[in-house]
Amino acid sequence: MKVMALYRRHVVPAMREPVFQWMAFLSVFIAIGVGAGLTVFIKGLHITNLTDLVPWGLWISIDLSAIALAAGAFSVSAIAYLLRRESVKPVAKTAVFVGFVGYSIAMMMLLLDIGRPDRFWHGFVFWNIHSPLWEVTMCVGLYFTVLMMEVLPIIGHWEPVEKQFPRISHRLGSLHKLTPYLAVVGLLLSTLHQSSLGLTYGKLVARPIWYRPWPMAINFYISAIVGGVALVTFISLFSAKLTPRARINKDVLDKMAYGVGWAVLFLFALRWLDLMIAMPAGYVPGKTEALYVLTRGRLAFSFWGLEIVLGMILPAILLLIPRFRRNENARMVALVLIAVGVIAFRWNTNLVGQLIVFGTVAGSDIPLFTTYMPSLVEILSGIGVIAYGLLAITFGVRFLNVIDHGEVVEAPAEAPVPAAMVPSSR
Amino acid sequence: MSTKIDRREFLKLGAAATAAVAIGIGMSDSRGLIPLPAAPTAPTKSRKPQESPHKWAMVIDQSKCIGCDLCLAACHAYNDTPPNIAWSRVEEVEPTSEGKRVFRPTPCQHCEVAPCVEICPVGATYHRADGLVMMDYDKCIGCRYCQLSCPYGVRHFNWDKFTGDNPDVPYSGTPEVARRPRGVVEKCTFCVHRIDRGLSVGLTPGVDPDATPACVVACIYGARVFGDLNDPDSPVSVALREHPEAYRLREELGTAPRVFYIPAETMEEASS
Repeated sequence: MKVMALYRRHVVPAMREPVFQWMAFLSVFIAIGVGAGLTVFIKGLHITNLTDLVPWGLWISIDLSAIALAAGAFSVSAIAYLLRRESVKPVAKTAVFVGFVGYSIAMMMLLLDIGRPDRFWHGFVFWNIHSPLWEVTMCVGLYFTVLMMEVLPIIGHWEPVEKQFPRISHRLGSLHKLTPYLAVVGLLLSTLHQSSLGLTYGKLVARPIWYRPWPMAINFYISAIVGGVALVTFISLFSAKLTPRARINKDVLDKMAYGVGWAVLFLFALRWLDLMIAMPAGYVPGKTEALYVLTRGRLAFSFWGLEIVLGMILPAILLLIPRFRRNENARMVALVLIAVGVIAFRWNTNLVGQLIVFGTVAGSDIPLFTTYMPSLVEILSGIGVIAYGLLAITFGVRFLNVIDHGEVVEAPAEAPVPAAMVPSSR
Repeated sequence: MSTKIDRREFLKLGAAATAAVAIGIGMSDSRGLIPLPAAPTAPTKSRKPQESPHKWAMVIDQSKCIGCDLCLAACHAYNDTPPNIAWSRVEEVEPTSEGKRVFRPTPCQHCEVAPCVEICPVGATYHRADGLVMMDYDKCIGCRYCQLSCPYGVRHFNWDKFTGDNPDVPYSGTPEVARRPRGVVEKCTFCVHRIDRGLSVGLTPGVDPDATPACVVACIYGARVFGDLNDPDSPVSVALREHPEAYRLREELGTAPRVFYIPAETMEEASS
């Protein structure tokens, strides 16, 4: 009875608010995703469409994308605290929160993907310093800790925490003083692992199309920065459209979007250069076929369409040409397209090396084509994890005031954090 | 009667329970079958392996191989691999100029510069002092990065747990190693358990069948030869001396495999 009364008093009125309907909608997908994830844990990875020939599929693409799009956290923090742009500091808070969500998505996805989730900690204990993947594991683990320390003050300023546990809230809030130092550490760790993710593919001598260590590392790093900053700007602009709770500083975001416009042009040049260099003059077994798959075969649409035209050329036009720049909707579309382009880049890069096997199975002295299509259980668990990310960001915007760019919030260096530094929504 | 226990008693009980659990876990770790040789204590700390008098290698004579798959059956049985995993594969390659069919068995190449050893994030695959590329199934996290890195495609992931009967047992042999758990990568070990056990009782791997990889013993055509490269009289050293035309797979990658192939026909024969 009491439950019903509580339900009537709190839940029913809340459900009239669209944001709660949206959150309930996401929760359904999360529940389905949890179901799919548990099925994988219990039954094992043989129920996926992954094989010995294509062992890295949709899940890897999702966590590569999540890590790439979380790069806004370190990039914006570096702009704010190392280049000392006061007006960008509040945006860094948004970026850090989005980054935190991105990395948690990646870690959940990875936990599902590895064959022995119970041994996820092995990378921290058993070191192989020659492995790029080990470096990524270490850096992601450490950087997640950094992000946690940056996010804790935000949680400390959550209304219920502030009211009921004022001392904890105060303690958490005082972590904010560390932010400039964490920005330095974050820049270091992110630079290391974002580029090493490219190197993870780039150093594999067995796969001719991947085997270009420097271009891969640089491309992964730059595209992560571009995509990450674009996503943070987009989330801020989009939230401000939907709710007055998200208070943005149009000037700053406008400048950031403009910068992203130039950056995506730079990325386009890099990617083009990379492909020009990668393109062999003559026939190179394995590599020629892989380039064929990328530019004319199975991946052609996601390469030319999503990655190049929609992900780079169109956004550059929309963000740089003055006539389109003034249109706010066009700007938002451009920013989200950049994120889509980065996701497509990760998907293409991951698959292009695996859709061709060369010398690794019977009869593959002549390169063979393989196929991969994610299974239902992979798709559902992937959607579940993404739904969690959207839910977390919605929660952040609605309750944690992560988008509050109106005022410059800065803790004085020595004095204990005053309650006034809390960006209040009241 | 009070059911309360004081602090001292509680601590005692706790200690006893912990000890019992610890002993239980320790006892439960008996695998029955021959345990795999343990990893050197810190395989990743020093890249230079400790000295070993041996340098194991395999020579495969393609002029003798007829593609009968006896070696695969023996491997399936002795290493108890699931039916969907074969530690080596036998594939048909270009026929000779006279039209004779040619086969090429491909076990793990045990590369001296092994890409998998370099990139395994947890060091679960490592070089033993004698150069064998080993798998530590207790360390492997199942990320499958090594499968992408292997230029020979000899690494297999346990997508599912292997339960049920092994169709090759007992016709082709009996299992000598424990089955691998679900979620780890496995590959050809050059039957390291046979080598080590043989050495410990004074046998010579490559000469005495009991100390030689199962596939080599099973090959009735003598297409597979095993032995120590450091020993000038070992079968592999002799075979390589007699056949200077022996080659290795994808040598241009610089992996320096320890599996050598004697071509079915030499260059002169092919051109004549």
